[in-house]
Amino acid sequence: MKKIVSLFLCMALLLSVMSFAAAEEDMTLNVMLPDFYSDSDFVSLEDGNPVLQKIYEATGVKLNIRWVPDSGYGENTTTTLADPSNMPEVMVMQGVRDAIMISSARAGAFWDLTDFVADAENYPNLAAGEKSVYDNIAIDGRLYGIYRGRAYARAGIYYRNDYAAQVGYENEPTNVEEFKDMCLKMAAIDPNLYVFNMCKYVAGTIGIMTVMNGAPFQYGINAEGKIYPAFEDEAFQEGLDFIRELYAAGGIDPNFMTIESGNWNDAERSDPLKALMRLDCLDNGYRYEEWLEENKGVDPTKPVVSLLTALPDKNGKIQIWPQNIGASGEIVVTKAVPEDKLPKVMKFLDWCNSAEGQTLLNCGVENETYWIHSDGFRYTYPEGEAENSATYANKTNTIQHSLNQLGMNVNGDLTPPTAATPLRAEYSQNLVDNAQYVIGNPCYTYDSETNNLMGASLNQEVEDAQVQYIAGKIDLAGLQAAYANWHAQGGDDILAEYQAIYDAAK
Amino acid sequence: MTTKAVNAPGRKVGYWRKLGLDLVKNKWLYIMMIPGLIYFLLFKYLPMWGIIIAFEDYSPFLGPFKSTWKGLYWFQRFFATSKWWDYLQNTLILSFMSIVFTFPAPIILALMLNEIRSVPYKKVTQTLLYMPHFISIVIVVSITYVIFGTDGIIYKLTMQMLGHSIDYLGDPKVFRWMIVGQSIWKETGWGTIIFLAALTNVDTQLYEAAMIDGANRAQRLWHITLPAIRSTIVLMLVLRMGSVLDTGYEHLILMSNALNRSVSQTLDVFVYQNGIVNGQLSYTTAVGVMKSVVSVILVVSSNKIAHALGEEGLY
Repeated sequence: MKKIVSLFLCMALLLSVMSFAAAEEDMTLNVMLPDFYSDSDFVSLEDGNPVLQKIYEATGVKLNIRWVPDSGYGENTTTTLADPSNMPEVMVMQGVRDAIMISSARAGAFWDLTDFVADAENYPNLAAGEKSVYDNIAIDGRLYGIYRGRAYARAGIYYRNDYAAQVGYENEPTNVEEFKDMCLKMAAIDPNLYVFNMCKYVAGTIGIMTVMNGAPFQYGINAEGKIYPAFEDEAFQEGLDFIRELYAAGGIDPNFMTIESGNWNDAERSDPLKALMRLDCLDNGYRYEEWLEENKGVDPTKPVVSLLTALPDKNGKIQIWPQNIGASGEIVVTKAVPEDKLPKVMKFLDWCNSAEGQTLLNCGVENETYWIHSDGFRYTYPEGEAENSATYANKTNTIQHSLNQLGMNVNGDLTPPTAATPLRAEYSQNLVDNAQYVIGNPCYTYDSETNNLMGASLNQEVEDAQVQYIAGKIDLAGLQAAYANWHAQGGDDILAEYQAIYDAAK
Repeated sequence: MTTKAVNAPGRKVGYWRKLGLDLVKNKWLYIMMIPGLIYFLLFKYLPMWGIIIAFEDYSPFLGPFKSTWKGLYWFQRFFATSKWWDYLQNTLILSFMSIVFTFPAPIILALMLNEIRSVPYKKVTQTLLYMPHFISIVIVVSITYVIFGTDGIIYKLTMQMLGHSIDYLGDPKVFRWMIVGQSIWKETGWGTIIFLAALTNVDTQLYEAAMIDGANRAQRLWHITLPAIRSTIVLMLVLRMGSVLDTGYEHLILMSNALNRSVSQTLDVFVYQNGIVNGQLSYTTAVGVMKSVVSVILVVSSNKIAHALGEEGLY
């Protein structure tokens, strides 16, 4: 009897050791990602998700994903980080210099990844990232995440050239003054047809317009070396005045500040058409054209959407609003990962940047979620089934969901190429040609305690006042009172703190 | 005066002695009270030590014991911004508007329902009136956007009637009325339940006697029905006072935008925006503590006023 029991115990011990060894090779990784498809189901690894299965086969990592709807991701980040015992191991931080990112990093919520990024031998893909962008996301000189790479020169204007032609602009305007003239003329076409498509998210529209007009982005440095807020620049005020003028001319929906950013497309895709132009990321421009071709029978050889960027202002200066700082948030590794597991997690993140990893995260599995047609390009449906593309897109969403949010692509886009429509080609060319014109916030990497604490609410108040100014609810004096309030409530402290860092760095 | 001074210490000892005697005499009653006491200590009093984070630079990773002690720094910071008065003012105005306009609505509706003689009609009406309570505030706000926006029917109607229209969704002057109106639309029907229950207890003989005496409907309502449910009304009102500073944030955030933010920012919205969205846990806890202090002052004083007016009050 004893022998049998001891034999049994030995077996059990052996089994547990074996399973432990197996567990060491396979690794479960808890990941928290923003979800843009929260209304569609997600097929988990256990239910046979082919993409997660392929990732598992390639790396031994079982991804356990906590999907959080994108619209509430910011709130969820705070509450998640407020409970250190229940954190995911890897998560997306959407703001790289938010108060929550900085304070969490300083309090030790995330692993310091500086040494991994410097280790080109073991983590070649991470090390291939751009140093300037890594510098942008560093906190106190250390890296607490891997940035999610985005092209700099994405921002601009896209508009309906068929309507522009009606007011005498068969050709694209060649400078900012012509552009303004075109907008005002377009506003006169029809009182029910707006020019600017605007929504609650106004920072983009105001930013693109004012920077194009020659204003600095967020902060400027004057000839005497003094830092000042962008809204006090003359060129900024001029740009804002133009939006106000356009609003008064009936060129902007008076309800724009109640439109959620998720419904931003509605005005340009509605029937009848409600808006002709948008100041935004230009990839939305070619997507709009493709939507028009698919749904409104627009001839693909004659695009009705034009992309407009890099216009010289009245002094001949060309400036582009930075859509981002070369990154859209970052991927952090939290302290929920034990130290001995960290290199493996980093190996996995490195793999995510490889061609294989990028393709799986962004496109999925060939012949399941993407198809290479005989022209050699990648499509979202099998060859000859273009009319069923929506069905395939739905199926892809349940498999792919927002897995691309885990992608960092720090070493560039390595996914199979897609067919280049004229607009897509123009967009890609813009990214290359115009990177030189993109301006930055000179104080971006400066750390100001007052800004961490109050910056968000101070900026909100200034932005609210700007919206009220555009909508004609307050006059210039009211706007300047809001600016004075910004100074008094903490803006002056922020400027002083920035100035001290700037002077010290000189 | 002198007798009081002499009696005072004696009375104090007497109180403790009386309590001791009472404990012995009614020990089973006190033993039965223990679970309730534990509940309150565990779930209501113990968590209150969490307000300690209002006095430090709290970081969840360091925990409440290792975070840096900041004293009254956050309170000073809050009062240093001139905005705090705006937030408090917005909170109070919205609360009192809701007490003045939202609170009496179910009473009036209940009295009206009570006068309906056809039972089937009354039942159907009641059921229909309860429905809005079960609609999420998000849906209510969406419906509001659709009918009050520039393409909406109400907007166009006012345009035709007045020649110009009202910016229902953006005008700060209209904002509070919109909030009050939505609350009335959503909750009035549901709120009638408790008053209708109180109304069923009114002695019908009183009505018959009044009818014989020649009282008309309005007089019966005024002299019989209202006094009968008066204690219920006072109780509900005093309970409502306890949450006078709770404006909630969901409804306000949904309705707020860049144009009306000057009136839609209440203390609750501020705490949500800065605490949950911007992650300033210590700062917003301090604001929450301040709000609680004001709440306590308001409840105590409203209770005092109720006593002064000869009503029962809360305690």
